[in-house]
Amino acid sequence: MTEDLQYVGGSYPVHDVAQKVTGELIYGSDFSVPGMLHAKLILSPIPHGIVRRIDASRAEALPGVVKVLSHENAPMDGFSRARIHPGQDMSFYDETLFSDHVRFVGDRVAAVVATSRATAVAAAALVDIEYEELPSMLTVDSALAPGAPAIHEGGNLLFEHEIEKGARPDLDGAVIVSTTASTPRIHHAALEPHVCIAQGHSTGGMTVWTTSQGVYAARTVIAELLGLEYHRVRVIKVPMGGSFGGKTEYIIEPVCAFLAHATRRPVKLLLDREECMIATMVRPATRTAIRTACTPDGELLDFEAASTLDSGGFAASTPDYSIHMCKKVTKVYRVPHYQHAGRAVYTNTPVGGAARGWGAPEMFAATEVHMDRVAAALRLDPVEFRLKNMVEPHETDLVTDLPLGDARVRECLERGAVAFDWAARRARPAGRGRIRRGVGVAAGAHKNGMYGAFPEASRMGLKMNEDGTFELNASLHEVGCGIVTTMRIIAAEVLGVHPDLIAAGEADTATTPFDYGTYGSRVTYVVGACARAVADKVKDRLLTAAADLLQEPVESLYVVDGAVRVRNDGERAIAYRDIARLSEMRHVPSIAASTTYYAVSNPASYSVQFAEVEVDCATGLVAVTDFLAVADVGRAINRGMVEAQYQGAVQMGIGYALYEHLDVDERGRAGIDGFKNYHIVNAPDMPDVQVLLVEHEGDDGPFGAKSVGEIATVPTAPAVVNAVNNALGTELADLPLTPERVIAALHGEEAAPCSSC
Amino acid sequence: MSQTQVLTPEGIDELVAALARATPRTRLLAGGTDLVRELRRPGDEPDVLVDLTGLTELAAVRRDGATLRVGALATFTQLQWDPLVREHALCLSLAAAQLGSAQIRNAGTIGGNIANASACADGATALTALGADVVTLDGAGETRTRPIGEVLLGAGRTSLRHDEAIIEYAFPALGSEHRSAFAKIGSRTAVSVARLSAALVVRFDAVAGVLAEVRVALGAVGESAFLVPELERALEGRAADDESARLFAEGCVAAVQASIPGRYSLPYKEQAAVGLAYDAWNMLALSAPSEPAWA
Amino acid sequence: MQLVLTVNGMTYEVEARPTARLLDVLRDQFGLTGTKEGCAEGECGACTVIVDGKAVNSCVMLAVQARGKEILTVEGLAQEGELDVLQQKFVEYGAVQCGYCTPGMLMSAKALLMGNPVPSEQDIRIALAGNLCRCTGYTTIVAAVKAASGQVATPLMELPAAPEELAAEVVTDPATLAAACEIVEAETGAPVGVPCLPGDDADADPFGGPGPGSSGSRVTPEGGE
Repeated sequence: MTEDLQYVGGSYPVHDVAQKVTGELIYGSDFSVPGMLHAKLILSPIPHGIVRRIDASRAEALPGVVKVLSHENAPMDGFSRARIHPGQDMSFYDETLFSDHVRFVGDRVAAVVATSRATAVAAAALVDIEYEELPSMLTVDSALAPGAPAIHEGGNLLFEHEIEKGARPDLDGAVIVSTTASTPRIHHAALEPHVCIAQGHSTGGMTVWTTSQGVYAARTVIAELLGLEYHRVRVIKVPMGGSFGGKTEYIIEPVCAFLAHATRRPVKLLLDREECMIATMVRPATRTAIRTACTPDGELLDFEAASTLDSGGFAASTPDYSIHMCKKVTKVYRVPHYQHAGRAVYTNTPVGGAARGWGAPEMFAATEVHMDRVAAALRLDPVEFRLKNMVEPHETDLVTDLPLGDARVRECLERGAVAFDWAARRARPAGRGRIRRGVGVAAGAHKNGMYGAFPEASRMGLKMNEDGTFELNASLHEVGCGIVTTMRIIAAEVLGVHPDLIAAGEADTATTPFDYGTYGSRVTYVVGACARAVADKVKDRLLTAAADLLQEPVESLYVVDGAVRVRNDGERAIAYRDIARLSEMRHVPSIAASTTYYAVSNPASYSVQFAEVEVDCATGLVAVTDFLAVADVGRAINRGMVEAQYQGAVQMGIGYALYEHLDVDERGRAGIDGFKNYHIVNAPDMPDVQVLLVEHEGDDGPFGAKSVGEIATVPTAPAVVNAVNNALGTELADLPLTPERVIAALHGEEAAPCSSC
Repeated sequence: MSQTQVLTPEGIDELVAALARATPRTRLLAGGTDLVRELRRPGDEPDVLVDLTGLTELAAVRRDGATLRVGALATFTQLQWDPLVREHALCLSLAAAQLGSAQIRNAGTIGGNIANASACADGATALTALGADVVTLDGAGETRTRPIGEVLLGAGRTSLRHDEAIIEYAFPALGSEHRSAFAKIGSRTAVSVARLSAALVVRFDAVAGVLAEVRVALGAVGESAFLVPELERALEGRAADDESARLFAEGCVAAVQASIPGRYSLPYKEQAAVGLAYDAWNMLALSAPSEPAWA
Repeated sequence: MQLVLTVNGMTYEVEARPTARLLDVLRDQFGLTGTKEGCAEGECGACTVIVDGKAVNSCVMLAVQARGKEILTVEGLAQEGELDVLQQKFVEYGAVQCGYCTPGMLMSAKALLMGNPVPSEQDIRIALAGNLCRCTGYTTIVAAVKAASGQVATPLMELPAAPEELAAEVVTDPATLAAACEIVEAETGAPVGVPCLPGDDADADPFGGPGPGSSGSRVTPEGGE
């Protein structure tokens, strides 16, 4: 490690931990304002149809019901729930507040606003709605079949694209391997359900309290729908109980704001778990076919992929998601020729969109399972094979043409293999008994922000208070992974004070400067760099003021522990609070600054993960008995939180590999009953995850830090799948590896296909 | 808005009075882990909920001569740890221990488990193998006793009248010659509805070295838990050896196949049944653990 | 219906709908929003409270069923502002990220330790099997519970610094401060009068003039004490 840092690299709890352990913190779902009404959505029970008649009379007759809204009395302008900027390319305005043409079970048809939640729920059951059913297409294949009815104008092939980079070399004598893999529709399963509160004011303005991951963009959508200027719409980020991408897009904010606007009252819209599962968004199901060519020694010559993504009933962000799936493989592997055809397809199923990893878990699930097959075909060890083809630091990504930065994936693999005792474990026989053991490895990459594809910047202000404490003014969107704490640590390091002396709040369009929000793995790398930049500016002001007050040249001064000191003169120091107080009397700029930080790079973050599993050949149940995640993080700002994030990310990845899938039946209904049969990994099934950090600080993030939260979950599932295939000698490639699929594979049979795709 | 009335009888007399007023829309509230969930669904709301929480006398477990009597309001946590249950009805303790989470076990009752009549009810499998009778009390103050197989009619269906409450289960207390086991296969290790469950009760005649009495119950592979008499007869009189283990497994598979022919889950369940059977058999610990050849 | 409930040692009389769940009464009527609703089905455990010493899901229990029983919620863990050892360890072990599962986890863990003061790791995981977490992967939570039971585990986090510790920091030495004040006075042509701040001499007249025994950071027109 180059610098000796005081705060960066320590381990800190989340900034509001005291409020969380006492139950004091008011989350969005706890939030209320006086006079607040409650809304209940009425969702389509059919997968495809036209709303022919809505009779709300019985509902409206119920005491306490204020209004029932639907397409009959709401603006029907199309909007995109994924749009960041007005006028943004690839925004599909195919969604309306309420649907008159319903496109999936869970599509919003109407909403009841009432004086209590119980009344709203009771009234919702009393709204009589007649549908004219249309034929439904519940799979990508049926949606693309000739003659299939169009779910949206323009047909069901929502988006397709193809990229080709490099030149295909001569494939004479090459070893060709093909794999088709599929990943299911997934529920993000944040513990807190989706919630939004909105209040219209007599001034014509509106305040919205939301757990959205991007308040500024939500504002543009709300303002446009309601015909309000932006300065009249205030969107405030309130504490949230997790999101994992499921609250990136503005799913319930527009309708909640509309309900508040229409009733001229504060309205709270809180979804229940079932609604969260089907009526918000899901990680889209994918099917990917991969074909590679290698030399007999194992050098990659060619990589061709075709991926199909199930967009569900609306486009949301799936076209962008599909494009991003093409930008993954060449962050990890060097290959002369890469070709990838991607497409997103409308189906009459829950809407697919932003999910942790943004296409990387999907693409690496397919790629890393495929790579093991190639290794097997070449009779090479999976680690050895990957090492032959992995990028080195500072290579250029073939697909994006961007520098990969200080790419340490190779080191992750090498160090991980040693730490996991890979060779010995791999050499151990799996056994032929009931319980068979195997190990697997997988690599993955993700980005650091949107630079190179999208204008990428952050803005912040920072000021010093009269007592020498500081306040950071930034549009932070805390999702639970310690973002606020990270910014405080960064600023603290620059300013030479303990992070607890720096306050930082969350986003409020009225008071904090513009920032996109928490997604795209931009927070540590770009927002954090902005924190560093603004802290540097404030430190300059501090030193300049101190130079005047101490009558010393600025170069001879430094900051430490809340004071400015003079080098080589231990006696002379001036505390921040005194600089603050004295500076206030002078005609000098205040000890405060604001800055815009423009991203200058977008390196890759990497993780290589190793899984050991035990498979019960009688029941098909898989136990993950050991797990190592190696993380190329550049530098851990909050070391404990980085490890903790990795542990949680692995929980999500194990669920992806083994348990989670949100399928629909032949009537388009999700056959799940909340968490009763949608299983996320619980404590008895979760292994202790070892985390090994690789820190080379080679890129432009604050103190060399790179993103953590998304990359952490990228290679987990394929590591587990590869381990199971190692244990059983199977070639499973369709996630999740349910017990049925495992048993069927053991007996050489076909299990039922994943109904997602 | 909910018009449901809640009655809170304290003592058997008040319970009888509440049952006397019951209509077909009246529901009995024990632990609440099934019923309170269902209350959220609109439509079909009960006119009256009779909250049994106050009837602590119905939670007792006691030995009545050769009979073990388990109160309907005994929670799963209670059954898991109760010394009488562990000694005289081990399969019931094992079933209770594997049901749901700690929170569910702390509130859920063995009465509610049967009254709810889920096809996957673990309590039903264990009680069926124990040969349990269900004792009910009605609005006329009358008690009735009938075998559990006559109470459980199918998935979600019982022969209980709307004015009838289960008050206890009665079955022959297992003695020192008995062994019992309960095994289940869920979708994961803990907190999973059973996809397959088995309860096995045997009386082992140590002098003759044979299984003198065998009762086998399977659950989650039919409308409700059921005994497998042909398998019981095939095993009675046999030694507790590997061949018997194999027969037991084969018999379980055959019973599964006969119970859910053509069902989507059959290919899985008929394979998994082998594992289930060996788990249950080995739990009896009558001989060294048996292992078949696996695929 | 009229209910009398004892929550966190306090007895409340409340008028509640007969079919109100314990969760609803706690949150909506007693304002105890620490207990969360995550699924309404008794699966996620975010609503866990302790009733007569046992952890239960308050979303599948009617309030009426809790009559006459001792109910403990997360708000009742800390005593007189002192965190319960479990809460302390959750902080120290980084067991809290988004925090939504935290109250339920704490209550399940509390119930476990009440009945089993030195649980094994397996005991802990089984006790928490009905508490879902999507952020932490459970490792830090299990370590925190182990530590709360007095068993050795390595803490992950640096504790948040106590405000008093942070405040007792640098004090500018008097000579430097005096010189700085002179510079400012010379620059602005006005005397430097600085109001009292916490830590300064509480007896001094805040509106001017030196007070007896003023502290080092109190600046006066005379430039020192």
